[in-house]
Amino acid sequence: MLAETTRVAVLECNDWPAVAAQHELRSRGKEYGAVAVLHAQRVVARTSEAARNGVLVGMRRREAQAACPQLHIAPSNPERDRLMFEPVVQSVAQLVPLVEVSTPGIIVLATRGPSRYVGGDTALAQRLHAMVEHVLVGMGNAGVASFGVGVADGRLAAHVAARHAATIGGWHVVDVGASQQCLSQLPVAVLADFAEIDRSVVSLLQRLGIAHLADIAAVQLSVLTGRFGPVGEELHRLARGIDRHPPVTVAPPPDRASVHRFELPVEDINTVVFAVRIVADELAAHLGAHGASCVRLHVCLQTDHGEQSERVWYQPEGLTAAAMAERVRWQMEAWVATRGVTSGVVLARLSPVGVRAREGRQLGLWGGSSEADEWAARAVERLAALLGPHSVHVAEWKGGRDAGEVFVLAPTAVIDMQRRSESVVTNEQQWSGALPTPSPSLIYAEPLPAMVVDAEDNVLRVNGRHELSAPPACVVVGQHRYSVVSWAGPWPVEECWWDPLRHRRLVRIQLVLQGIIAGGPQAVLLALEHGEWWVLGKFG
Amino acid sequence: MRVEVTSDSLLRMSHVAPPTFPVVQPLQSLFPEEALVRGRTVLCSGDAAVSLALRVVAAATQAGSWLGVVGVAHFGLMSACEQGVALQRMVLVTPTANKREWASTVAAVADGFELIMLQVPHGVGVADAQRVQARIQSRRNVLVLVDTARKSAPQSVFQPDVVLHTNTTKWHGIEQGAGYVQSREISVAVSGRRVPRAVQRTVHHVG
Repeated sequence: MLAETTRVAVLECNDWPAVAAQHELRSRGKEYGAVAVLHAQRVVARTSEAARNGVLVGMRRREAQAACPQLHIAPSNPERDRLMFEPVVQSVAQLVPLVEVSTPGIIVLATRGPSRYVGGDTALAQRLHAMVEHVLVGMGNAGVASFGVGVADGRLAAHVAARHAATIGGWHVVDVGASQQCLSQLPVAVLADFAEIDRSVVSLLQRLGIAHLADIAAVQLSVLTGRFGPVGEELHRLARGIDRHPPVTVAPPPDRASVHRFELPVEDINTVVFAVRIVADELAAHLGAHGASCVRLHVCLQTDHGEQSERVWYQPEGLTAAAMAERVRWQMEAWVATRGVTSGVVLARLSPVGVRAREGRQLGLWGGSSEADEWAARAVERLAALLGPHSVHVAEWKGGRDAGEVFVLAPTAVIDMQRRSESVVTNEQQWSGALPTPSPSLIYAEPLPAMVVDAEDNVLRVNGRHELSAPPACVVVGQHRYSVVSWAGPWPVEECWWDPLRHRRLVRIQLVLQGIIAGGPQAVLLALEHGEWWVLGKFG
Repeated sequence: MRVEVTSDSLLRMSHVAPPTFPVVQPLQSLFPEEALVRGRTVLCSGDAAVSLALRVVAAATQAGSWLGVVGVAHFGLMSACEQGVALQRMVLVTPTANKREWASTVAAVADGFELIMLQVPHGVGVADAQRVQARIQSRRNVLVLVDTARKSAPQSVFQPDVVLHTNTTKWHGIEQGAGYVQSREISVAVSGRRVPRAVQRTVHHVG
């Protein structure tokens, strides 16, 4: 039994999305004690102060606000959670080079090597706890984030131990071989909380009178499998304190790490990800030919200066080639954002460290990915093959002050289209200094040169206080001349005034124009930058 | 076991596709059936073409259908978001300049997307237009054509079932150096093969 289970340490920061949201608000100068993060109108995480006031996970917005009137509601943003968690991961990676981050807020690592290095599991847990506390103090989050370290045989037991440790603010080590006993008296609901077992299955177990994990372990494996199918076997394994999936059920495919070496150091993230996508396609095809799929992928990136970023990504259903490329993009973005990169990438290596037999994916009957999603994903693949990867795009939120900057186009080759429909792409945080909505429906990627003149035919200027020299009377675009019916603004932008290279200073105005010859009034958005007027967009 | 059935999940799982896509309430009066009928072609033209076309397809994308935007020049993503289009189910496709490949590109889009927003480039012949339209009808998708040219009457190589020719008459919210663009009055001329009697409607439109 022991051979099937690896001894792992789990570090968990409770309610990480709420802590990340609070930290981001603080970095923008807004201090809130009680913060809750909402996804699909339900609270998914809340800070400890909000919890003290009675805000529970799963509450609706109004219920949460009723429980705690001073509550600040933040939208869910996995990107933010990942970026904010990066310093914690980096600090742990100093001690343990290979860590696995399945979701932001949780780090899993194998203890075999590190424990021997620092002198035992307890010493390791203590060390990890001290390191993370140090990072959180540096971020100003000390006392806000409750986190704990758990060490045990198997992920489930370690995770439960970490959650227990978080409540006492320390660490908890389960002795070797004691995992099953430790789990036996826990309610079956922990399977849904920690092991991603479906809630309906857990609810069924409860109504069958199976209340504790020990009860599951006492049932014969064949009976469980007969009633629940493959999930039954997983339940039995989890209840006995061993890992959910058997390590490898198929003969392992010939060991294969896919490596891409760049001729010249590459600094552009998209270029790296495109190159990786090709390698990932080969890797996925190779594994698929052996009837396997990769559930745990080790991604290693190296720069010209010898910096290295290593990360293990975990996806219980198996990673497709697009999902692999997406993980590489996340890793690159986090690496660049934390300024760990001083030069271009020269090497990218993907190694499948966790492989399991491919069972085929059962589509959900209710919700989940639909037939329309499948069709669209297939059409996108086909279009990318037909037109080339740079002709098929989806919108991604980036944020900005101009209507053209808030969303950017990302090539579909680096997006996991199978799960795209479940994601949410909205303008969740309007930047200060952004223009009022609605925005122009036509945005010129290359703004059109124009001339805005006053009644005496002098070109309009702005003074140091962003005031227009005179009311606009006429606009000339190319050969056409329009008279101004009404106007609003100016809305100034001062960006990066501390950086002479990236410094931008411009004003935007909205105008309603009337053509001399024909047509109704049309509204346009213009900007003045470096003494020249440009048409940025049109309400078409 | 308690099962929550929402109209959305019922729609997604049902094998028989509903004959129509929903349209937001203020625009229902523009369509004879008060919805987008599958297999039909809608042409939006005039000075509010793009904005109105986005509003027309918004409710359908929210209900789970995918939108393919093909060759629409200067497409404003922010405006699409504001009009209520579910951006996670929208894909932008840039066709090649080659006219022969254009029709096959649109056909490939029609295979995967239930809603297609299309700006027809110059030089597309009637034969190609008929091929594309036949494909749309057989796959029971909805094609929304966008024509941004400021003309007094709409023209197209396609044979649209519903033509919405827009003409902005008044802007609200913006004054002489005050306020901002908030909304507008659009006069929409509704005509086309499936419209029994051409009518003129006024729509209050944000964006």
